[in-house]
Amino acid sequence: MPLLEVRNLIKRFGGLTAVNKFNYELEKGTIASIIGPNGAGKTTLFNMLTGVYVPEEGKVEFNGNSLIGRRPDQITFLGIARTFQNIRLFNNMTVVENVLVGMHARLRVSIVHALLKTKRFQEQEQRAKIESVRLLDYVGLGGRGDELARNLPYGDQRRLEIARALAAEPRLLLLDEPTAGMNPQETADATRLIRRVRDELGITILLIEHDMRLVMEISDWVTVLDYGEKIAEGKPEEVRRNLRVIEAYLGKGVASSLTPEANSPRPEVETGFTPPDQAAAPTQNDGQER
Amino acid sequence: MQTETVAPTRAVSRGIFSSQMLRTLFAPLGQLAIWTVGTAVVLSLVVLLLALIFRTSSSGVDRFTLVLSILPQVIVDSMVLGFVYAMIALGYTMVYGVLEFINFAHSEIFMIGAVVGAEVLISLSEAKALENFNPLLLILLIIAAGMAVSGLVAVVVERVAYRPLRNAPRLVPLISAIGVSFFLQDLVRMLESIWRNAFYRTYPDVPSFSQRISFGDTLDVSYKSIIVVVAAIVMLLALNYLVGATKIGKSIRAVAQNRATASLMGIDVDRAIALTFLVGGALGGAAGVLYGLRFSTINPYTGFIPGIKAFTAAVLGGIGNITGAMLGGIVLGFLETFGASYLSIFTEGAFGAEYKDILAFGILIIVLIFRPKGLLGEVVGERA
Amino acid sequence: MVNRHSISMPFSGGKAPPWARLVGIILYIAITFGLAYSLEDILPRAAEIPLTLFESLAFLAFLGSAMILYYQPIPKVAKLILGILVLLLLMPALGLRNGYYLEVATQVGIFAALALGLNIVVGFAGLLDLGYVAFYAVGAYLWAFFGSTQAGLVLTSIKDFFPLGGEWFFLFLCLGVIVGGLAGILLGLPVLRLRGDYLAIVTLGFGEVIRVMVNNLDKPLNLTNGPQGISPIQRPPLFFMPLLQALGFDLEPRQIYPIYFYLLVILIALIVIFFTRRLDDSPIGRAWIAIREDELAAQAMGVPLVRTKLTAFAAGASFAGAMGVLFAAKQIFINPESFTLMQSIGVLAMVILGGMGSIPGVILGAILVTTLNLQILKALSDWLNAMRQAGTVLNLGFIQYAMKNLPVQLEPAKYERMVFGIVLVLMMIFRPEGVLPASRRKLEITANRETPPEAVSATPPVTGGGE
Repeated sequence: MPLLEVRNLIKRFGGLTAVNKFNYELEKGTIASIIGPNGAGKTTLFNMLTGVYVPEEGKVEFNGNSLIGRRPDQITFLGIARTFQNIRLFNNMTVVENVLVGMHARLRVSIVHALLKTKRFQEQEQRAKIESVRLLDYVGLGGRGDELARNLPYGDQRRLEIARALAAEPRLLLLDEPTAGMNPQETADATRLIRRVRDELGITILLIEHDMRLVMEISDWVTVLDYGEKIAEGKPEEVRRNLRVIEAYLGKGVASSLTPEANSPRPEVETGFTPPDQAAAPTQNDGQER
Repeated sequence: MQTETVAPTRAVSRGIFSSQMLRTLFAPLGQLAIWTVGTAVVLSLVVLLLALIFRTSSSGVDRFTLVLSILPQVIVDSMVLGFVYAMIALGYTMVYGVLEFINFAHSEIFMIGAVVGAEVLISLSEAKALENFNPLLLILLIIAAGMAVSGLVAVVVERVAYRPLRNAPRLVPLISAIGVSFFLQDLVRMLESIWRNAFYRTYPDVPSFSQRISFGDTLDVSYKSIIVVVAAIVMLLALNYLVGATKIGKSIRAVAQNRATASLMGIDVDRAIALTFLVGGALGGAAGVLYGLRFSTINPYTGFIPGIKAFTAAVLGGIGNITGAMLGGIVLGFLETFGASYLSIFTEGAFGAEYKDILAFGILIIVLIFRPKGLLGEVVGERA
Repeated sequence: MVNRHSISMPFSGGKAPPWARLVGIILYIAITFGLAYSLEDILPRAAEIPLTLFESLAFLAFLGSAMILYYQPIPKVAKLILGILVLLLLMPALGLRNGYYLEVATQVGIFAALALGLNIVVGFAGLLDLGYVAFYAVGAYLWAFFGSTQAGLVLTSIKDFFPLGGEWFFLFLCLGVIVGGLAGILLGLPVLRLRGDYLAIVTLGFGEVIRVMVNNLDKPLNLTNGPQGISPIQRPPLFFMPLLQALGFDLEPRQIYPIYFYLLVILIALIVIFFTRRLDDSPIGRAWIAIREDELAAQAMGVPLVRTKLTAFAAGASFAGAMGVLFAAKQIFINPESFTLMQSIGVLAMVILGGMGSIPGVILGAILVTTLNLQILKALSDWLNAMRQAGTVLNLGFIQYAMKNLPVQLEPAKYERMVFGIVLVLMMIFRPEGVLPASRRKLEITANRETPPEAVSATPPVTGGGE
């Protein structure tokens, strides 16, 4: 049985069908990518998987549980954690606190225990803090725990988002453009981190990405969305050669004149770049693309 | 501000009085009429039906006759109140449409209009100039004075207290607006105390306004009520023209749709926002003058309750929607006046007009919870 | 909501050594106390000299000593002793000299507790509640109803039970917590799904609804006695009276009650501070702040939105409920006038002025706003009145103004709204994080670590993905 199974998922915004009859299966332990031009419906799909949007039609089963109609926090509790396209950290909390919030679903404390600071409460807090520090080490933010999240450099903020998501002990981790806006060095680090999360922690990973080099290098399985529809699916090298994919990225006619090398689909890739200052500004459509 | 986005741009830019333009100009008139009559009919039927069902009170009074006898007066009062609310509500809704921000201080802009109107009238009356004044001219004068001062204060408030916060988190400008609201109340009190040594002001009696026209035994309409309704309708039409068919209006609508894009199209965003405050503030000021004319006694704290109710009206109509604000104001005016007039008849005095404020808040809460879009409006819920 | 993260140590006074700080703070306490205590003997009496104004300022400075003390890096024992000295000895001593000081200090305590409660809602969870005073009213009317003959008017069959004896007060203090919290949940349930600015207006509406109801529920059932209010309300008994007499203090109840209430308020305020700190440093507190920072992200991290907001609402409301009970007992008389929107805005101004989410900040806000309202504005009024009556002519060199021409209606004491308004606007524009901004707690274990920043440990963390 696949870990995640999506059947016939449909989401409309007014007259626009953002995701149309989407079917998907994700096996445990894979790193899978979803690619597609801007506005293809990738983030909308993530938002449906995490309960932010309610789809018009379709089924989503995760680990035997239906996700339709569940709230985001309930879905996190079931084992799906995510990061955001434009980083959404708790800016005025410290780095450790950000990770601690990620553990919220697992920390079951009544208000009474907190007020009386019972032994159980203290032990749990202590354990949580130690665990947070280890997680920060793991993503490469060791020793930065007491800084405010907003004071971290851009690349570290992305790492912190991953640490925060890992704190929820997910079975499935959704990464929305984890390397957007990173320089090549940071991208390489992030790639390594993602792979380690799968290899060492056994967490299944589904990611949206514009950086083809990363997608092709890291993914076991690649799915291509265009105008809300799945146009191709397969192993990276299969997708790379798929004519429809090249057309979707570069337009008809261009495809024939270009060799589909990994670094070629640049024009669209560049638009996926989100500069840090822009990411921090309150844009009209936070994390939602049409 | 998603009203009539299909404004007839070409015809307007040539400034020709085409049929399409006339339609833009007077379209809201039909809608106003339909909603006013509709609300009046529905509510009248409801109270009459209730009166028929619970016909005799415990003290033996025939409720049906009682209800019927005051009904015409209640309807007239509802319209007066409704149009005042509609005019104030426009200020909230326009600013919300452009900035997505509740201008909490708008109730004080309204109050300032009322105070200015009173002061102009009082000054004229002290100079013994009131009797010789042409009544029409007098009305125009006080409304213009109220509009001018209120509009200017609104612009200044925007410049000083809101513009520096335009990109701050939502609650920051709201808190600032609450501060402005409280500040303005006491500022007016202070100025009035220094100047007049009193801050409760009464509109002096203008004989030509105090006349009444009688229609049969049950209905007796004062000139003041007619002035309020007529003036309000004229203002609403003027606003509709301004927003729907002029260049200024187009810039305001563009900024409301998308500030960044509007700016790229060469629209001066700051100017458009200031204009929004000017227009909304002026309407609020006019509403203040009309309110003062009708209800006579005002003070620096008069604005709060009508303000919050007008905000309710704006939400009821669908905040950000100009036509919605007008309709919401009228519907709320009717609901409130009917509630205030009939509640005590039906509950035998246990609950009376004093609960009319609760009624408005109740409507606000219910609308926000069950139909946040309002009667014809925009979604209020959080964007993901 | 906070844009800048700046000063971490206010009043730290540079690099002075601890002993110098200790001497400094003791001197400060001594001087301000001395001034507040004896200014009326030192200054000559004349209409031009604003004696009460100077006294209020001296008193404010004295109150401030508690705040300054809190920030001094001196030994904890010294802090504690000085704190006890200021709060439990010097303040009551001032109170015996001039009862109004104690009244102001008590009000400061009440408002500090209220502001701390509102701080949970506004400062931590980021929910703008403009009807906060409604919960205060709920608590106050709870005790007023049962602690007076009012309950007997309604529950006629058992009317001999009422008023309940003063000893019930302590039970009702706890009930105030529960009833306040319940009221918070009842209001919160329908409205907490609304977006922030709508929530503000709806809570404002709720506050007004409570006020209108309290004003009018003298019929059909006389629950609140309408605008006349309820009086007299039972006070807690002076159970320690025999002890005091045995110790040789022969004070009348008239003198004891103010001190008694002052001490009670201080006690409750300390409990509130204690609980607020505990909550702040718990998963619940972190969830509140996470919601304030980013609702969507918080939800994605497993924070249940509505439930978490409800706990914030209930926690804040329960503090207000308890303070309401205390307020009713202290005043003996309550009416709807004490529970207006202006009170809510006043408490909000304290939170904003001090710093949203900052416990010391909020207390400082309560001290400043309360003394300003109760003492300084009033002192200004008295001063102007005295000069008006004495026929003083102000001579500013180039301009002369006969005070008797000053309009009678111009009374500074009535301009609380202006104070609140100016505080809110200026703080939002120039310092939205408040005078003493919140600083996040450092977590000891990370501070003591020696791992170099970029070291990436090879071992996977304990949070193994379940597989």
